Amino acid sequence: MSLQLQHVTKDFGGLRAVSDVTFEVPERSIFGLIGPNGAGKTTVFNLITGVYEPNAGTIRLGDVDLGRLRPAHVARAGVARTFQNIRLFGQLTVLENLLVACELQKRSHLLGALLRLPVHYADERSMTKRALELLDVFGLTHMAHTPSTSLPYGHQRRLEIARAMMIAPKVLLLDEPAAGMNSLEAAGLSDQIRWLRDTFRVTVLLVEHNMQVVMDVCEEIHVLDHGETIAQGSPDEVRDNAIVVAAYLGEEDVNSVPSSMLQPLPSIRGGQLR
Amino acid sequence: MTAEVTAGLSKRFGKFLVPLVGVVALLGLDLLLDRVVPDSSLRQLLAMTACNVLVAVSLNVINGMAGQFSIGHAGFVGIGAYTSAIVASHLHGALGGEVSLVKSFVVVPLALVASATFAGLFGFLVGLPSLRLKGDYLAIVTLGFAEIFRLVISSAQIGTGETAGAAWRAVRGLGSLLHAVSVSLSSLGGQMGYSGPASDGVPLYAGPFWVFGVTALLCVAAWRLKFSGWGRALRALREDEIAAAAVGVDPTRYKVTSFVLAAVGAGVAGGLLGIMRDGAPSVQPDNFNFQASFDAVTMVILGGSGSVTGAMLGGAFVTLSIKAIEWVQSSPLLEGLRSEGFDLNALRMIVYAAILIALMILRPEGLLGERELRWGSKEQPG
Repeated sequence: MSLQLQHVTKDFGGLRAVSDVTFEVPERSIFGLIGPNGAGKTTVFNLITGVYEPNAGTIRLGDVDLGRLRPAHVARAGVARTFQNIRLFGQLTVLENLLVACELQKRSHLLGALLRLPVHYADERSMTKRALELLDVFGLTHMAHTPSTSLPYGHQRRLEIARAMMIAPKVLLLDEPAAGMNSLEAAGLSDQIRWLRDTFRVTVLLVEHNMQVVMDVCEEIHVLDHGETIAQGSPDEVRDNAIVVAAYLGEEDVNSVPSSMLQPLPSIRGGQLR
Repeated sequence: MTAEVTAGLSKRFGKFLVPLVGVVALLGLDLLLDRVVPDSSLRQLLAMTACNVLVAVSLNVINGMAGQFSIGHAGFVGIGAYTSAIVASHLHGALGGEVSLVKSFVVVPLALVASATFAGLFGFLVGLPSLRLKGDYLAIVTLGFAEIFRLVISSAQIGTGETAGAAWRAVRGLGSLLHAVSVSLSSLGGQMGYSGPASDGVPLYAGPFWVFGVTALLCVAAWRLKFSGWGRALRALREDEIAAAAVGVDPTRYKVTSFVLAAVGAGVAGGLLGIMRDGAPSVQPDNFNFQASFDAVTMVILGGSGSVTGAMLGGAFVTLSIKAIEWVQSSPLLEGLRSEGFDLNALRMIVYAAILIALMILRPEGLLGERELRWGSKEQPG
């Protein structure tokens, strides 16, 4: 079941943020969506997840039209996402964070919970079992009853992905997963994304600024600039595309990050700058 | 052997045992309370406390659990009170006009179901548009709704409905509908309050069995709501609405449903207030003014937003303190002061404000915060 965008357009007042964008994310591929700042990547994400409604064009997951659905219903249709700045339910425990994501699969509803019908207990049991299994896969079991806000950053990111997987999605949208990672962690991220795709058999749509990660993990890349498609192809094709390089010039080198940026920052000690 | 049989029996019948004992105890209370507590004003206070506990527990569903802010809860209580008083009065005539415990098993359930339905319906109408929006819209809309309800009822005097209705009857269709509405509103007694179709008093069917029984039942329901997937989803919504939506929890649906549940609880509480034994035989519109809504908010905040047992404590505390102040004021000691215009009831607002401010500084989460008083540790949150 592939994710298809056809001639999708979104205006904000007089500003055309996304203009006639068409692409298809094949089932179980790892697909990159890149572009310089302000290219409209996040808008496309928000269009797919139902935060915005497109002015024109269609967004489909298999036979389901996502374009008019609200966020909760997009999730129900099988699209999970993570956020650039991690969004967890801070006061809830790690386990509870996953259990919230089960609400949509429950067979019992309000009345079942109020009357404490057997189906309520059956649901709670099976959901907790699934959540614990997933925590085990993500190596978070020992923290199951910790409030998620007190987790270290790396664990929080893992928990957010685990929570997304809890809704058993068909498509996983990753919004800048390398944000806040050092280059070593970013290098490990590629393997993790591939592992996610293979373990959970999901389609992955990746928005990422870190070109090393994008070039390493993506099978196909779609490039936006000023809301318009400027290229699509394999990493090698995109890397060699003159228009893409021009769009990125002055912002980032497509082939590699300038070596000067990898130098450690000058240290500041004792309030003195030397 | 006998121990095994007993264990097997208690396992099978154990879950029916507590409700059964409760029902028997409540029936006993209903029959004996008059003798145990001969003072009818004290009995009224006890019943009033139970009703206010229910008001606080239901407001806690929307203000505490769902993290919204409603300050018009008295409007729903009022709708419940008027509805049950009307239903009970009319059934009373049909059943032969004698209040008895046996008849209360017909009258009270019907009256309370009507109250709950009507209040829930208005909850849906008020909640749907305002909860789709963010921020403080709900506070403004609920405040406006409760005041509109009170003012419409109290300004529709007998007679005004007839004249206004006559003016509208000239217009066809919608006009005759408005005529019917204004005439039936004016039959509610306006500022004087509703006391039955013949103004001979609302029949007071809801004895202690109903007042305490229904309150206990709905407190258990609120507790179960909190410690279920629903309560968990509400807490998640309070933490991060966008993230909750991204895992399939529809914010509008959860918030509106919670609001309707809160309105239903308030409607039932009002329904009990309207027809409770030892209560006033008329329903006054001014019992449901902004002051009453604000008292409800105070109950929830005092007890701890989000805590069911906290709301119960808050409801009991506020009710009893109102009575305590009235009692102090009526003592001969203060007789002289009162004749000089000293009003302790006005002082109550200052006392509450002071307590609330002190609480916000010393303990912003309220008496219990979101925690619960519990005897065992059977059900942990989540």
